[in-house]
Amino acid sequence: MINNFKVNSNEIDKFKKISKQEKEFRIKNLNLFNKNGFPNNKSEDWKFSDLRDIVSKNFKKLDVQIINSKSKNTTLIKNFDHNFLVLINGNLSSSNFDFEEKNKIKIKNFYNDNFSDINKYNPLIHLNHALSDTGYSLEIADNYKFKKTLVIYNIFTKELNENILNSRNKIQIGKNSELHTIDLVVNESKNKFMNNVYENVILKENAIYKNICIQNEKSDGFFHKFSKNTLSSKSKYSSFIFPSGLKFNKLDLEFNLEGEGSECNLQAASLLNKNDHQEIKTRINHLVPNCKSYQIVKNVLNTESKGVYQGKIFVKDIAQKTDAYQLSKALLLNDNSEFNSKPELEIYADDVKCSHGSTSGSIDETSIYYLMSRGLNREESVRLLVSGFLNEIIEMIKSNSIKKFVQKKIEEQIHGN
Amino acid sequence: MKNQNINTLEDYKYGFTTDIESIRAPKGLSENSIKFISKMKKEPQWMLDWRLKAFNRLKNLKEPNWQKPKYPKINYQDLYYYSAPKSASEKPKSLDEVDPKLIETYKKLGIPLNEQKRLSGVAVDAVFDSVSVATTYKEELTKKGIIFCSISEAIRNHPDLVKKYLGSVIPLTDHYFATLNSAVFTDGSFVYIPPKVRCPMELSTYFRINASETGQFERTLIIADKGSYVSYLEGCTAPMRDENQLHAANVELVALDDAEIKYSTVQNWYPGDKDGVGGIYNFVTKRGACRGKNSKISWTQVETGSAITWKYPSCILQGDNSVGEFYSIAITNNHQKADTGTKMIHLGKNTKSKIISKGISAGQADNTYRGLVDIGKNASNSRNFTQCDSLLMGNKCGAHTVPYIKNKNSSSTVEHEATTSKINDEQLFYCNQRGMNQEEAVSLIVNGFCKEVLQQLPMEFAVEAQKLVGISLEGSVG
Amino acid sequence: MLEIKNLKASINSRDIIKGLDITIKPGELHAIMGPNGSGKSTLANVLSGKNGYHISGVIQYKGKNLIEIPVDERAQKGIFLAFQYPTEIPGVNTNNFLKTSLNKVRKSKGEKELDTLTFLKIVKEKSAELGIDEKILSRQLNVGFSGGEKKKNEILQMKILDPSFMILDETDSGLDIDALKTIANGVNSSRDKKKSFLVITHYQRLLNYIKPDFVHVLSDGKIVKSGGMELAVELEKTGYKKIK
Repeated sequence: MINNFKVNSNEIDKFKKISKQEKEFRIKNLNLFNKNGFPNNKSEDWKFSDLRDIVSKNFKKLDVQIINSKSKNTTLIKNFDHNFLVLINGNLSSSNFDFEEKNKIKIKNFYNDNFSDINKYNPLIHLNHALSDTGYSLEIADNYKFKKTLVIYNIFTKELNENILNSRNKIQIGKNSELHTIDLVVNESKNKFMNNVYENVILKENAIYKNICIQNEKSDGFFHKFSKNTLSSKSKYSSFIFPSGLKFNKLDLEFNLEGEGSECNLQAASLLNKNDHQEIKTRINHLVPNCKSYQIVKNVLNTESKGVYQGKIFVKDIAQKTDAYQLSKALLLNDNSEFNSKPELEIYADDVKCSHGSTSGSIDETSIYYLMSRGLNREESVRLLVSGFLNEIIEMIKSNSIKKFVQKKIEEQIHGN
Repeated sequence: MKNQNINTLEDYKYGFTTDIESIRAPKGLSENSIKFISKMKKEPQWMLDWRLKAFNRLKNLKEPNWQKPKYPKINYQDLYYYSAPKSASEKPKSLDEVDPKLIETYKKLGIPLNEQKRLSGVAVDAVFDSVSVATTYKEELTKKGIIFCSISEAIRNHPDLVKKYLGSVIPLTDHYFATLNSAVFTDGSFVYIPPKVRCPMELSTYFRINASETGQFERTLIIADKGSYVSYLEGCTAPMRDENQLHAANVELVALDDAEIKYSTVQNWYPGDKDGVGGIYNFVTKRGACRGKNSKISWTQVETGSAITWKYPSCILQGDNSVGEFYSIAITNNHQKADTGTKMIHLGKNTKSKIISKGISAGQADNTYRGLVDIGKNASNSRNFTQCDSLLMGNKCGAHTVPYIKNKNSSSTVEHEATTSKINDEQLFYCNQRGMNQEEAVSLIVNGFCKEVLQQLPMEFAVEAQKLVGISLEGSVG
Repeated sequence: MLEIKNLKASINSRDIIKGLDITIKPGELHAIMGPNGSGKSTLANVLSGKNGYHISGVIQYKGKNLIEIPVDERAQKGIFLAFQYPTEIPGVNTNNFLKTSLNKVRKSKGEKELDTLTFLKIVKEKSAELGIDEKILSRQLNVGFSGGEKKKNEILQMKILDPSFMILDETDSGLDIDALKTIANGVNSSRDKKKSFLVITHYQRLLNYIKPDFVHVLSDGKIVKSGGMELAVELEKTGYKKIK
């Protein structure tokens, strides 16, 4: 078992043709990672998810090599017109924008031009900055609204075995433009592997971005994603996250509301099963006046699962008229499950509307009684209540076709165990 | 159309010093100063050993640094750890023997030690710097078998009780300031309520820091035996000095089967001046153990003073069906900082806890609620409800809510709610239109905001506390 | 009692009152009617001294210009505003609020402050007089009150504080007939030679009970027509559109 995972500095030498600046950036981050290793629960941000412990219990080794596999033909979602990107083990392998005006879209392989951004806290970001060489960069021109949804197929191949993948993605949406995406995870690997993603989303003035993220079947993946989102004035961000089925999953989402009138909505619903460990961590920075943020996170925890929600709303002194809301609800179905939350407010402006709520508890016995009195057995009643609990989130999706698609996926999860 | 006749900040009215001759321990933290304290207090060897054990442990501990308020490094060698009025070197047997200067001091503070002029139904233990100078109503309490005395007396006269319970809630090795207290604590109160006794009056300790360059390290231990009840009040003030003074107290509560302890604090240590010079560092460890079944511990605090307040009165709910409560008002103005909250550790079955926290921040102050609710695996059918409300006055201050919530039991429910708001202009206008000026309106609205907590206080304190809420915010709205 | 000359008021550089003149003598009751947005509530706010308006002109009250006087001092001088939407103040006991308020008014008049017992006696008396259940006074100020309870509470406060110039801002809106009578009763029983009223309303209904001496029509920030009760009757029939 690996207790003290370190990355050999000659890994950096394998990147040919990189600028001196990039090389320095990678080395600096590699050293930062090697200094700290995987974070443990001594670090405030990892208090409820001791990654060092999790890694050392599950991995004998971790290979940092990039796996360039070809997947068999990707099965696309049927009866649903869409554009798509296919990422195989994090690497952009194909793209299709047949429904769109091609000159409005710039799609590239891994691309990084920011070598100054050194994250202070998260060792996994350091690791990513040091080693990432895959991923995509998508730029949408100004004044262009996508006609169809863009589906991003994240495929993990069966070759994966004790690897750690580091990829970097960027989405930039120009002024007055609009993009809807669905992130779909398809896992073909039967083995344990880690996936570490750094994502950067930039919304220019008045841009709209809607994203739905669905984790599919059960797998032995250990996922970490850090997402940095920058919102210019009057831009709107909305994300629905339906993750589940991973051994470990941490989503670390940072939103910087930098332009007045910008708005960020985050909705998550998860059903966690045996041995799943999932954390959603958010930080919403209200930096200017008149912005809105709304978060609702729901978790259902089955036997031996662990759920975590850490959410922070930060309101800068000048960010008057901020309207920020945060709600976490958890249902514990079994005593061997655990839910931890830390809904945090840090507020320096007085004319604001900020509130949060967090509840965790058992399924309502009177509701079960009611359903059983109508002829359902206990198990069916619980399932129905669980799907109702999660459905509240799904119902918030506006598009009917997408709503149905998500509903089907969630029902499969509920009935799949 | 602005109200002109405001902004006259009322001075801290407890800011006087008493000119009194005192005995001090040698300056600095050392085995010698600890031995000096122990000797002055005529302590048995076991107590000295206990202190030295804590001192040795302290050498390996570091001051915590995770809290929000940061403070300049404290030079522990530059403090006196013991200071006592010379006249009190032998604790007086009756009030007639107490130095009149001391009686005068407490009278000024509104705490009459003279039993005839007493607050109705409140027995007082008065602690001046490092020693308890007077305890009222002793006789009446003794009749019921209640022990209410200074901790120093208890160590000498009730060693079995002290040995059994001291350090049983806050272990010797808990954290830096708690351990420091265990090594150097000077005085404080001791309460023991025998089984099935309902204490007939409020018990109260009044703490006063007088001497300069002196840390105050009191230790309070309250034991409510099976089926008993006690309500305990704590008040504190200090003179205005431009240095920062350290106050690191430990308070331990133990409630056995069916017992109830109600612990109320009105903390009004000197907060420093408008520019943040001086004031008390109030680093206090308060913890209660609901050790018996059906026991209950309820903390109520009104925190208006101190430059930095940093305390988390907690409940360990060990006994089945036990109940923990925490009601808090923390007001920070000017440069004050408060990081306060509670921990509710649910271990027993059917345990319940309730947290109501009201934070008010004005001036350039920072106010943090930090709390933990931890429902253990075996704490089935347990419940917690938490409500944290913050009120901000101006945009130079901060309000923060940092709750940690852990639930490991599926039959238990945890609910947490928090809001942040400001005093609404319409409310101010309404009060103004009924003839109240800005300060009166603010005081009224803030008192309304704090009502749920204020009504937990015993009557005698509630009125004082309401006034204090108004005074603490003077000059913050204009 | 009150003399308003060429009053102009604007908020966020939007002109709302655009040159208004009214003279109200002691003992008189004036009604102001007018369509939505004509400036009625602004007038009430300006007279009581609410912040945030830019004001010019003269408001002469008992021989003194009020413009520079803050809200609480005007209240102490006997100006009372019954709010259109009385504000909720959580945690504040209504009795406690009213006692503080009454004592402020008394103190400014050089009268002795009342102790709780005497105060409660007055409350009992006045609420019985108006037929208001005094229980509402032991609740939190306006919190969870029904619309009718809020308005009755305003009138009870008015009775207790005993002001000399009373402004009622649409106190009759949304009330059932019984509540309306309570309000009218409160007004009528307060009328005497030394006291004056400015009653802002949309409807003739309330005026049937309280008989105004003068009725003014406010439109676009100006008084466009004045008359007696017959004007209110006419308005009820024809609406505001006909009046220019």
